[in-house]
Amino acid sequence: MKSENGFYGQYGGSYIPEILYSSQQQILHAFEDAKNDPAFLAELHKQWQQFSGRPTPLTFCANLTEHFGGAQIYLKREDLNHSGAHKMNNVIGQGLLVKRMGKKRVIAETGAGQHGIATALVAARLGLECTIYMGAKDIERQYPNVFWMKQLGATVVPVTTGAQTLRDALDEALRDWSSSHEDSHYLIGTSCGCAPFPEMVAFFQSVIGDEVREQSVAQFGQFPDRLYACVGGGSNACGLFLPFLDEKDVAMVGVEAGGKGLALGEHSIRLSHNLGQPGIAQGFATMFLQDQAGQLQETHSIAAGLDYVGVSPIIAHLAETGRIQMTYAMDDDVIAACTLLLKKEGIIPALESSHALAGAFKDAPNLPKTSRIVINLSGRGDKDIFNVAKAVQDEAFPQFLNDYLATYPVTTDNKEQNA
Amino acid sequence: MSQLAAFIHEKKSAQQAGQKKPILSMTHVVYGYPSVQESLDWMARLMEEGVDFIEVQFPFSDPVADGPSIVAACHKALEQTLDVDTCLTQLGELAKGFPESRIVLMSYLNPMYRFGLDKLAKRAAEENILGLILPDFPIEQSTDYIAACKANNIDPIWLVTPVTPSDRLEMLASKASGFLYCVARSGVTGHSSHEGTSHLTPMDEYLAHIKAHANAPMGVGFGLRERSQIEDLIGKADVAILGSALLDAYNQGGQDAGIALLRDLFPTH
Repeated sequence: MKSENGFYGQYGGSYIPEILYSSQQQILHAFEDAKNDPAFLAELHKQWQQFSGRPTPLTFCANLTEHFGGAQIYLKREDLNHSGAHKMNNVIGQGLLVKRMGKKRVIAETGAGQHGIATALVAARLGLECTIYMGAKDIERQYPNVFWMKQLGATVVPVTTGAQTLRDALDEALRDWSSSHEDSHYLIGTSCGCAPFPEMVAFFQSVIGDEVREQSVAQFGQFPDRLYACVGGGSNACGLFLPFLDEKDVAMVGVEAGGKGLALGEHSIRLSHNLGQPGIAQGFATMFLQDQAGQLQETHSIAAGLDYVGVSPIIAHLAETGRIQMTYAMDDDVIAACTLLLKKEGIIPALESSHALAGAFKDAPNLPKTSRIVINLSGRGDKDIFNVAKAVQDEAFPQFLNDYLATYPVTTDNKEQNA
Repeated sequence: MSQLAAFIHEKKSAQQAGQKKPILSMTHVVYGYPSVQESLDWMARLMEEGVDFIEVQFPFSDPVADGPSIVAACHKALEQTLDVDTCLTQLGELAKGFPESRIVLMSYLNPMYRFGLDKLAKRAAEENILGLILPDFPIEQSTDYIAACKANNIDPIWLVTPVTPSDRLEMLASKASGFLYCVARSGVTGHSSHEGTSHLTPMDEYLAHIKAHANAPMGVGFGLRERSQIEDLIGKADVAILGSALLDAYNQGGQDAGIALLRDLFPTH
């Protein structure tokens, strides 16, 4: 979706410290050039295919469809990307742009760790130095991802300020960029931040919806009736929705994280139910969860990737104009949706994506049998093994962990590798 | 001429008349750190000591242009509920006792945007706070804010940096009112793990370039910690801004350590 000078309605823009002005302009121009350069686009599609395995399938779910007895349910399988999430689409695009700009290092923030891993993978492949900022609390929740980032050669910096989650990681990445902008690119993981990041990330993610357009026509002769995506920062939702923006008969539903409840601090609902307020922070204007005095607030979700205080200005604008309908799913519903997909279809969804499932499953029984819905399965759930085991109260898991720890060599020879 | 620029010129002429102070001083204090009263006491002590300006930072949860010292102070301050209007009232009261000093307010855009930029300009002017610094508010988006400041005869203070492109630097310098905040180096405020590594224009050249186009006095800040750095600015800038270094001293040894640093850096005060 093209912005008006970086703005989508009242949201977006570029509100950054003066020190970053030149670098922001450089990215703006490099992206404008690149997206109109057939050679760049050809390389992008080649890397998407050869490195990430695109196109990802559109999978019909016969058992779920029968279970709910309503709409025909399809999943867009972004979980089958290399790295196991849609994040790969964006990092390949920005990675190629970094090479084009001649920079040597990338900085990224990460919440769940999916974007961190995706960035570390691309950095390794493209020969770039890589520093990942991650909230200390998120590192605790998603250590296996941190482990892989380090194995891939990235430096992972725990962020211990504030609530120690994605928002703080984003602040710290911006601070790094303020001093390193001449040789480093800030490889933002979602369609947030100063212009042109929202537009650029949405552009790279739109491959998701572009493929669904072709696949839906090929598989059932028409576009889907409804699309569902979870909304954290908003990149997988932008990716699925934007290519359908002009198709008035295609309804779009964004699902936010309802967390444990609707009290401030217990959820990450920025758009539905007027819980967020307009604000300008972290480089852009959008709906933020904040108090009366304009201080950004803590958020919660069982899915670290949705635990964010702001939201894409593109999604905020489309929600405000009514083009996208926003709803939310609570932590408990999310675990139930995750479990149902496992049992019925043999697919392990990420907890982030399970929000989209939960939102769709609520509607599916009430939709006509002739209607078709596409849910963006933005990531796979292997990374969530510890959290899901805890949520379903698996009895054997603690014993497994105890046994594992009992045999874990405490003094290792390769300490430095993990330092 | 703006009230703020007039104040600086007046002080500078006193200096040229051979009285003292080869360069004016601006010291930074985080409002509400470690408590509201302690921060107000600290401001009073600094003005008693003769600093020309206090830059009061109204804390924001996500201060992206600041380094660890100021970030930590802001987060500590925000453990209390802070209110912009009360802050302005308290600063106005405080300033009355120190006619030889001025207070400028620094914050990030969001808390001020939520308070209302028109109301901010009006209230700041009422409390004799003559300048506002919002480092994440680019001049391109600021038409209404500039108008509000102008209407209330106070100044929006813009920042320029060593990596600001030449034409933009000249544009910002020419639009400066009150004073122009010249950032001395890349990166965030204070000591941090993010140290700029770039090869920048030499400081003298940078300041001379700004001076050739500046329509207002010049303040220099970011990374000032030693007397020699401040001595180097004499004759090239009007105000030296002391931020994180002062906070670090305060954190280590309270007000007395802060004052000792101030006296060391500005020996002619």
